[in-house]
Amino acid sequence: MSITITIDGKKFTAEKGETILRVAERNGISIPTLCFSEKVAKNTSCFVCVVKDLKTGRFVPSCAMEAADGMEIASEAPEVRDMRLTALNLILSEHRGDCEAPCTIACPAHAQVEEYVRAGRKGDFLEALKIIKQRIPLPLSIGRVCPRFCEKDCRRNVVDKEAVAINDFKRLAADLHYDTYLEELPPLSEKKVAIIGAGPAGLSVAYFLRLHGIASDLYDKMPAAGGMIRYGIPEYRLPKAILDREISHFTKMGGISFFFNKEVGKDLSLDDLKKNYDAVAVTVGSWKSSAAGVEGEDLAVGGIQFLEKIARAGWKGDNPGKTIVIGGGNTAMDCLRTSVRLGSKDVTCFYRRTEAEMPAEKIEIHEAKEEGVKFEFLVAPVKLRRENGRLVLTSQRMQLGEPDASGRRKPIPIPGSEFDTVADTVIAAIGQKTVVPPGVKTTKWGDVEVNKDDCRMEGAVFAAGDCVSGPATVVEAVAGGRRTALAIVAHFAGAPFKEPYLLNVSRGKWQSLAKDDLVFLKEPPERKRTPQRLIPLKERTTTFKEVAFTFTPDEIKKEGERCIECSCTAKGDCLLKKHSEGYGAKPEAIVGEKPNFGYDTRHPEIILDRGKCIKCGICVKVCSEVVNQNLLGFKFRGFATRIDTAFSRPLPSPLCRDCGKCIEECPVGALDWKAKK
Amino acid sequence: MTAIRRINIGVSSCGIAAGASETAAFLKKETNNIPIVEVGCIGHCYAEPLVEVVTENGSVFYEKVMPKKEHLDRILGLKEQGRLVMRAQRTEREKIKVLALAGRIAMTSLDEYLAHGGYEGLKKALTMKPADIVEEVKTSGLRGRGGGGFPTGLKWGFLAAKQAPEKVLICNADEGDPGAFMDRSLMESVPHQVLEGMLIGAWATGATKLFIYCRAEYPLAIKNLKIAIEQIYANKLNNLNGRTVEFKLKEGAGAFVCGEETAMIHSLEGKRGTPRFRPPYPTDSGFLGYPTAINNVETFGNIPLILREGGATFATLGTAGSKGTKLFALAGDVKYPGLAEVPMGVTIGDIVYEIGGADRNAVKAVQIGGPSGGCIPAEKFDAVVDYDSLKSLGAIMGSGGLIVIGKNRCMVETARYFLEFTTRESCGKCTFCRIGTKRMLERLEKITSGKGTDEDVAFLADLGPKIIKGSLCGLGQTAPNPVISTLRYFRHEYDAHTKEGTCPALQCNALSDVSVDKERCVKCGLCVKTCPVKAISGDFVVDNAICTRCNSCIEVCPKKAISRVEKGKGFYGTNGGAR
Repeated sequence: MSITITIDGKKFTAEKGETILRVAERNGISIPTLCFSEKVAKNTSCFVCVVKDLKTGRFVPSCAMEAADGMEIASEAPEVRDMRLTALNLILSEHRGDCEAPCTIACPAHAQVEEYVRAGRKGDFLEALKIIKQRIPLPLSIGRVCPRFCEKDCRRNVVDKEAVAINDFKRLAADLHYDTYLEELPPLSEKKVAIIGAGPAGLSVAYFLRLHGIASDLYDKMPAAGGMIRYGIPEYRLPKAILDREISHFTKMGGISFFFNKEVGKDLSLDDLKKNYDAVAVTVGSWKSSAAGVEGEDLAVGGIQFLEKIARAGWKGDNPGKTIVIGGGNTAMDCLRTSVRLGSKDVTCFYRRTEAEMPAEKIEIHEAKEEGVKFEFLVAPVKLRRENGRLVLTSQRMQLGEPDASGRRKPIPIPGSEFDTVADTVIAAIGQKTVVPPGVKTTKWGDVEVNKDDCRMEGAVFAAGDCVSGPATVVEAVAGGRRTALAIVAHFAGAPFKEPYLLNVSRGKWQSLAKDDLVFLKEPPERKRTPQRLIPLKERTTTFKEVAFTFTPDEIKKEGERCIECSCTAKGDCLLKKHSEGYGAKPEAIVGEKPNFGYDTRHPEIILDRGKCIKCGICVKVCSEVVNQNLLGFKFRGFATRIDTAFSRPLPSPLCRDCGKCIEECPVGALDWKAKK
Repeated sequence: MTAIRRINIGVSSCGIAAGASETAAFLKKETNNIPIVEVGCIGHCYAEPLVEVVTENGSVFYEKVMPKKEHLDRILGLKEQGRLVMRAQRTEREKIKVLALAGRIAMTSLDEYLAHGGYEGLKKALTMKPADIVEEVKTSGLRGRGGGGFPTGLKWGFLAAKQAPEKVLICNADEGDPGAFMDRSLMESVPHQVLEGMLIGAWATGATKLFIYCRAEYPLAIKNLKIAIEQIYANKLNNLNGRTVEFKLKEGAGAFVCGEETAMIHSLEGKRGTPRFRPPYPTDSGFLGYPTAINNVETFGNIPLILREGGATFATLGTAGSKGTKLFALAGDVKYPGLAEVPMGVTIGDIVYEIGGADRNAVKAVQIGGPSGGCIPAEKFDAVVDYDSLKSLGAIMGSGGLIVIGKNRCMVETARYFLEFTTRESCGKCTFCRIGTKRMLERLEKITSGKGTDEDVAFLADLGPKIIKGSLCGLGQTAPNPVISTLRYFRHEYDAHTKEGTCPALQCNALSDVSVDKERCVKCGLCVKTCPVKAISGDFVVDNAICTRCNSCIEVCPKKAISRVEKGKGFYGTNGGAR
């Protein structure tokens, strides 16, 4: 007798004894499952594979329910999908682990940090570079100037309060192999994109378009490529000879051309570019120094303009004399330290809050102090005037009040605290603004307005980098450039572009974690962070020579031992991740207690991480029914249920022959090989 | 003087808990020539230790009989003082059939059971064709008394139709609902009646293996069943027309879920007690793959009656869809807690007010069916006891636990209490039940601790039905019922917690204070002495900053001068816990 069933309105024939899941799969209907395996008897634990039996109104696990003649099944109906989503959300609500390492999540470009650190630890620096360049096309520069978002979230901090020196892996890998490594490049299509601005964002757009076989022309108002990293970042942090090496690779890739001294709005028009190219990317950056709103501020020089002038002169210039730099960001630090190198013996930073609130990198502040820079905190400018050929800056003292929108305590002037300071040069480095090409729509902050999903301004015009986000970092510009390139690729393919949802379960930031909250594949070795070697202080204050050395391969290999490898061993084949992403399930959708049942690494090859276990028991069944051993079992009941060995002893050898059958069937990373691929 | 023939003393668990063992020993020691018979429970548990004096002119009952000379004199003198009054409100509404011998015959006396018609049903059954017995049970309309309400005759018919080398019949004696003790009482009081039902079942279905799965927390039931089984063997009552069957008594290790049939089968097989997907149903593939039928203790207890009086007669009692009587374990805010047997079709109000003697002005709701059931508000007490009408009200017949909830109880806390039980008892297999019940419990705890929001209430209303739909067995499929039914009838109490920050019943500790009424207080000082945290000052003011809301002072106050008041209306000392 043949069996006919209906799934989502379509009729299918089924064999006797065939489950709904099998019938569906055979006919190309995909039903998510976590705890199902054909190798063992019916399991029915996860309930992610539920379907609705329309005749009885019951929700049944399709992996176990056998097809019966005349059955009518709903699999994609909203209420069925909602049940699956809820099941996934419930599982995620108790799932303890980290899909990705926190460093990778913290990296704006989502470079696979743990992976390139592992390659570096093994001494395979070419492999490390390949991984880095999947997301970061400017590793020579970023390896030097990145503010290291990754390190701020590095879990090594839980062990000894010092992050792994991650960015140094990038720098060494690039120093060693950047000039010789050439990506696999697809042939060029007929499409061509105009990119306005050859800074980090524009270069990133060009790079990722080229990886997709799309050529581009980069137009820049300056005489050379690099944008802010050439004209805004001082030579002593990023030598321009190294930048030239980095840029030359783009030409080498073929299909990327540069046109310098071309400013849109002056030398060429956006309309012409729109006409002559298949798409346009606006990556013009944020080049205008913000106004301080202070009387006489025309007498001061803008921070970025100050740096640009010195850069254009090849990092040479007159001694600025007694210098005051107003501002507490990285540009302010660059101006201060550049002034020192130009010969000034009296360089002071004026900042309106305290050192704790300064947005500049701590290392920059520290090195500036080493180089003799003085700091005046809780001071704000009031008036600038010229007197007897010198500048007189009137400032007033501040005190900190309630936190403002940025979460930092707001500085409030102390009445009557005004004082004058005489200086030869006053630099206002209090921020930068975007200047958009004529005809471009802006936000209320003056940045380019784009659709957040696909980076599109209008039609085939896209934008990325500082001009969209406001002044930010090189790695953020590069990340935005990649997104825009992918959006342009999707645009050419006629497909909508939205970044795919990636599930990330996280144990949390290291600040809130203790050692017991983490899982260590092996006991992390005791080793302090490798110190950064610098050139002698005398050279730092008198020349523009690069301050920091690249780590040696040996130093990097040892530093790599400090990585505790936070990401999930199963991130490549985790079914919970796959289906959660498919159904939009989120770890924060349902919040509640996440029990800590610990983990077991006593087996030499295998880790049992109970925090990730979804308690489906497929491993118990596989060991019992397929391997004919009973080495795993359930313990406790209800929410406290967990998988364990008999009497919590290590998996007994030789009964456990490391066959890995349980690992193969584990839908998540609860049972896995310790060694990561 | 009226001659005393014998004295029955109830020594089932309820009696023992009240001190009946001591009373029985005392009676035996202090009397001569009067048989002192240890019997089971007649259902009036509130009156334990309970003594029945059987005289030539009928019985006289004495309540709360303690091992005291004075009490003995009352009994032997058939004095008026201390007599248990059988209230007409109760006797008129009860219909004692299944429990007819409970508390009337010696618990483990085969002779007494036989003398009262015991094993007549089996005798009759053995003269019938098995298929005819199945038909007789179908005719009776008997439905499973364990909670599901599946027609027993139908289930037996499935098993009888199977051809297999072994067939299995299991008596589900894993009574686990908090507040339910019908099965325990029946097994303790008349173990033979249950076993007779099983033997009839074995003949009707062809079952070759008979299991009794009894929770280990019932030592007296186990003891009495074991004695009864030995008596059956000794008298060859297990010889079913030449085919001998044996009983296996398995003690459950305390998991509530093992009352679910597939989990129980796993447990009997020596596996972890977790349910499995059905089909196949146990009648197709059960214990070790053999066809298996599982019936509840009370269901088996009905079988001898059906055989004795005939299915048609049995079916004259009850409603259209529910026949016979039902045992209810009556507990909570009632005057007369105990066991009641009522015909199907009486109203809930009859049980609560007339049998239980609850104060009509003080009752808010009943929880029927234990943690798997739902609450029914007092306004709906006209509803009749019947499988289908209870279901339509959002409750279930369940096994027969009936807990009366007074107006002084918080319904959110009540729901939390029951869900805490099911959350703890979930076996952990299904995602929805394992995690979902925990997540609901967390939200309920949040609400009762005064931190709940509307979002939490919405969460409960959304997740509850999903847990029901997404669970394999009856535990998960019913666990949210207490929450869903309280949300249905007492939504205003949830809202009071979340929107107004008050607990209308003044039960939730975080949302109420304690205060002394100066008018009523006679300054006796008992409260000050009783308070474990010294929160009550010498001038009789409760400092709510110190008070732990333990209620000790409220309970000890002879003038009822101390009570819970709304949060913020009590006094708070400035130096808080510093004292």
